Amino acid sequence: MTIDITMYVRAPSRISAYLDWLQMLTGAGLILFMWSHMIMVSSVILGPGVMNALAEFLEEYYMAQVGGPIVAFIFLLHFVLAARKVPFRAEQQSTVWKLSRQLRHTDTWLWMIQAFTAMIILIMGSAHMWTVLSDFPITAAKSAARVQGGFWLVFYLILLPMVELHVGIGFYRIAVKWGFIRRKGRKGFKRFENILTAIFIVIGLVTLARFWFLALPK
Amino acid sequence: METIYTDLLCIGAGLAGERVAVEAASAGFETICLSIVPPRRSHSSAAQGGMQASLGHCIMGKGDSPDVHFQDTVKGSDWGCDQEVARLFAETAPVAVREMAFWGIPWNRVVPGKDTYFKGGKQFEKEELKEKEGLITARSFGGTAKWRTCYTSDGTGHTLLYTMDNKVVELGVTVHDRIEAISLIHDGKTCIGAVARCLKTGKCRAYLARATLIATGGYGRIYRETTNAVINDGGGAIIAIDTEVVPLGNPEAIQFHPTGIVPTNILVTEGCRGDGGTLLDVNEERFMPEYEPEKEELASRDVVSRWMTHHIQKGLGVKSPYGDHLWLDIRHLGAEHIKTKLREVEEICNNFLGVDPITQLIPVRPAQHYSMAGIRTNKDGAAYGLKGLFSAGEAACWDMHGFNRLGGNSLAETIVAGKIVGEKIAESLKGYEVHFNTAVIKDAAAKDYERIDRLISCKDGKEDVFEVRNAMQNELMERVGIFRNGADLQKAVDNLQEIHARAKKVGLRSNGIGVNPELTLALKIQGMVRLAICTAYGALQRTESRGCHSREDYEARNDRDWLNRTLATWKEGDDLPTLNYEPASKVMEIPPGDRGYGVSKIISQDDEKIGV
Amino acid sequence: MGRKLKFNIFRYNPQDPDSVPHTDTFQLEETESMTLFIALTQIREEQDPSLQFDFCCRAGICGACAMIINGRPNLACKTLTDDLPAEITLMPLPIFKLIGDLSVDTGTWFREMNENVESWVHTSKTFDLEAEEERMDNSLAEEIYELERCVECGCCVAACGTANMREDFVGAVAMNRIARFMMDPRDQRTGSEYFEVIGTDEGIFGCMGLLGCEDVCPKQLPLQDQLGILRLKMGWSAIKHLFRIK
Ligand SMILES: Cc1cc2nc3c(=O)[nH]c(=O)nc-3n(C[C@H](O)[C@H](O)[C@H](O)COP(=O)(O)OP(=O)(O)OC[C@H]3O[C@@H](n4cnc5c(N)ncnc54)[C@H](O)[C@@H]3O)c2cc1C
Ligand code: HEM
Ligand code: HEM
Ligand code: SF4
Ligand code: F3S
Ligand code: FES
Repeated sequence: MTIDITMYVRAPSRISAYLDWLQMLTGAGLILFMWSHMIMVSSVILGPGVMNALAEFLEEYYMAQVGGPIVAFIFLLHFVLAARKVPFRAEQQSTVWKLSRQLRHTDTWLWMIQAFTAMIILIMGSAHMWTVLSDFPITAAKSAARVQGGFWLVFYLILLPMVELHVGIGFYRIAVKWGFIRRKGRKGFKRFENILTAIFIVIGLVTLARFWFLALPK
Repeated sequence: METIYTDLLCIGAGLAGERVAVEAASAGFETICLSIVPPRRSHSSAAQGGMQASLGHCIMGKGDSPDVHFQDTVKGSDWGCDQEVARLFAETAPVAVREMAFWGIPWNRVVPGKDTYFKGGKQFEKEELKEKEGLITARSFGGTAKWRTCYTSDGTGHTLLYTMDNKVVELGVTVHDRIEAISLIHDGKTCIGAVARCLKTGKCRAYLARATLIATGGYGRIYRETTNAVINDGGGAIIAIDTEVVPLGNPEAIQFHPTGIVPTNILVTEGCRGDGGTLLDVNEERFMPEYEPEKEELASRDVVSRWMTHHIQKGLGVKSPYGDHLWLDIRHLGAEHIKTKLREVEEICNNFLGVDPITQLIPVRPAQHYSMAGIRTNKDGAAYGLKGLFSAGEAACWDMHGFNRLGGNSLAETIVAGKIVGEKIAESLKGYEVHFNTAVIKDAAAKDYERIDRLISCKDGKEDVFEVRNAMQNELMERVGIFRNGADLQKAVDNLQEIHARAKKVGLRSNGIGVNPELTLALKIQGMVRLAICTAYGALQRTESRGCHSREDYEARNDRDWLNRTLATWKEGDDLPTLNYEPASKVMEIPPGDRGYGVSKIISQDDEKIGV
Repeated sequence: MGRKLKFNIFRYNPQDPDSVPHTDTFQLEETESMTLFIALTQIREEQDPSLQFDFCCRAGICGACAMIINGRPNLACKTLTDDLPAEITLMPLPIFKLIGDLSVDTGTWFREMNENVESWVHTSKTFDLEAEEERMDNSLAEEIYELERCVECGCCVAACGTANMREDFVGAVAMNRIARFMMDPRDQRTGSEYFEVIGTDEGIFGCMGLLGCEDVCPKQLPLQDQLGILRLKMGWSAIKHLFRIK
């Protein structure tokens, strides 16, 4: 027997690095967007007037008209980039599934959740964006009407935790992957992130409740 | 049988084997290393303490030189070493250490300023010099006049071996791991390679080489309790004595370590006692002061080991499912001291015993530690008896250790000998042609196939290989340990001969297909028992105490009759080895004298011979 | 003490045409300070002498004995039965080629890994027999040693989802090795030379930050930190290249 040496012949390409940056930056961008989105939508808690004013302000300066498609684009770009990492082959899926079950290791599970929620977000997020963006302007009343219709309530009740989990985990993951959080800080940061996710879900639920009980103009 | 040709075949890819391979490969010779385990798992990686080289950079090593190192080595050997070799070794060690630094070892370096250290249970202060900042530093080890042991934290062997294997990878030296050599191919005059069994498939293979090196390390596993790895079971020594012409040097020279943990015999450092740890018996009472009122627990390795065994034999050991043991107590040193200065000890206790040394006692007993014994070579590393055969490292009796090797001298030996022997092999390979006699090769292969068949089909009997091995290990442990005497040794030889007869009747319980571990051991068991007999018989004949070989019935070192080296060969069909003797050293740069420690009863060379 | 331990052990001997992958069960009386090394050795010697597994140093130093112990990769020799439930399931490491039962071929994998990352000091200097060694700060030596402590056991690879899914992923162990040489002033490789080795999707940019490696490493190597540092370094070096910053 001789030792077989498989050499990976690599052209000195930096494409992997750029793609990884983009994946992280689109992810981070989306996180920022989701936080602003949260502020905008949950402003309804303070009163429909506040939300309307915010929406109007954004539209007046064309931030919504331009921002919407940009977000949609980043959303797609992030999907394309991150999808490189998602196991689509059945064999790979069963391997990671087996590994995660065996290993009983939170961070590996978190990743599984991230990949799973991503798929849901892709479909539901697209549908949601299509609906909202094709029906300008945004007003508290329209939103409330959608939510009170029932279908969208259920829809958001599913999408909300999916998004928050994905965003929360994504935030944590960016921090550890790029070395912003070191071994010492990991536990604390994870806790902080869990609490943040929980808070966002609660705010989202309160928002939905507010929409549900908002008196619709006849 | 698959046959592979090469210039140099290194059996063993520990530090010694790989250092030789690096030298030969650098000289342009095709080299193949064989190893039972991936090379980086070789037992060299287990050495934690360090290696000696007289760099003299640290303040406690000031004034050190190869001369002083040489003197320490000769004294350590109890004048049993070859002084020419010890000289060569001491001179080359500093270069070897620096070369390893060049290749990438992160040696600990001199940090200027004040610092404290422990000696004999007391704390002292020292101050390192500013001008030496950043040079390789050293720590203290037993039996040395200066602090000379270079180290990388608690993993010197590990970093040495990884760096050496990096070099092997860089040079593209072929390594076949999970291959075990099971016999040498030779015609009684020249060695032309080895038959080896693949431990990935179980198949045999012939390696034909113009030069063959045995660097298979120590063989502590012939003892029941040993600090050695489980693969250190003597494969290299066995294939050498199986040739009938290659002798084993000083088979009776075996070193013990006082504190192996029970049950796994993992070594805990002498530092425990150095820093003030004590030994307790079944009643949790100290016993060393009774035997050694002056030095107590801090007496030398062999002395402490000896009293520990004695105390256990008196029935004052602690009973356990793994046999009797004693306690090591470091609780009084305090949590802080243990967590900083004795961190490895704390880890070993936690990980391998489930014992917290800060609050609990550590079960310990003496264990076999090092084989000074080995394949006898000349100063170039060429084995006696067969042309084309070489040996280096712990497997060899090169012989710089004589009857006691100093701590830190064995890692140094592997790379120093590796360097020197490698050069000599490269020299000898130039223009050296061998004729690979097909009849000899066929014969060797057929012999091994037949052995395997007989074991699998239980043709010779149904003795259980593990039971035979246990019997052998117990015999050595009980009668050929630290404390030796004529009656016990005679009994051991007799019993081992019976065990040898049983070893010949071993048959497998399992089917023997593939990498069968039972077969792996069965192929070696006869050889292991022979090594055991060589040890016991050599010890029986040597009626004196020298270094680690201490006879209760002959307490003095006898330079008049025994300033020599045992050479043991084994003729096929015999039940005992043939023992011959040669002078310990042709050159006596330092004439035999007092070691300055240990027992000092000496019958000097000029003493009158009494009778014959 | 005195528990009866039940071992479920994966069995398969690829060399034996009659052998099929299955699980064998063994019972054993637990004794004091029993490690899996003691338990498995006892099983082999008293119950089934054909049982294959690897131990070498039995002291947690050599990395030979990694296996999946109740689902997690770890060194068997430093696992006390006392820390496990009475039922213990043992499987060979995944990813590495199976030799038989619990024994896998780590040697070939690691040799290849070492060749790929060129795990040695690259220098144009030649060794000078006479000269004093180059000086180095002790704290730097210790930092290098901290990364050099890896025992190539393969636990980090076995616990990595990425490595399990993608055969060409080099694993945390390889990246830790590169980090070790980057830290070493004796190695003269430049940033872009390191980049070629590790700045790829098989290397650092393939790592998804699952941190299984960090959490199972039996030597507690700072893998998370080193992976983070490496990604940032490699990332910056690519950006600099983009803007042609020297
Ligand atoms: C616990 C412990 C601590 C120690 N600490 C120190 C210390 O601090 N300082 C010091 O100087 N010394 C120390 N020593 C001693 C020192 O580590 C060894 O003497 C030295 O490393 C031996 O190196 P080697 O290359 O000769 O053999 P090893 O490193 O044991 O290598 C033997 C090689 O041979 C191979 N092999 C064996 N049999 C066969 C076969 N039949 N076929 C093919 N290949 C085979 C093995 O796979 C291995 O690759 C220590 C020893 C022990 C046990
Ligand atoms: C609003 C929507 C989304 C947000 C805010 C978001 C955010 C993030 C963030 C911050 C990360 C971490 C990035 C990194 O580790 O480099 C991430 C990773 C990931 N995202 Fe999204 N994402 C969104 C939508 C999606 C969608 C639609 C997919 C569809 C496939 C997806 C798939 C993934 C995957 C697979 C990862 C893991 C990549 C890895 O670990 O390397 N995400 N996401
Ligand atoms: C530019 C794009 C977007 C706009 C303008 C927008 C706007 C809105 C509006 C107006 C609502 C209120 C409910 C409604 O009217 O139906 C809402 C709710 C919601 N949106 Fe979006 N959205 C956008 C993108 C996204 C994306 C990409 C996601 C996630 C993938 C998302 C997830 C949600 C969720 C979960 C809710 C429920 C709110 C809650 O409970 O707090 N949105 N969005
Ligand atoms: S990094 Fe840790 S887990 Fe990985 S091989 Fe090295 S020691 Fe093992
Ligand atoms: S588990 Fe694998 S994905 Fe990265 S963080 Fe560790 S290498
Ligand atoms: S046997 Fe060496 S690490 Fe377990």
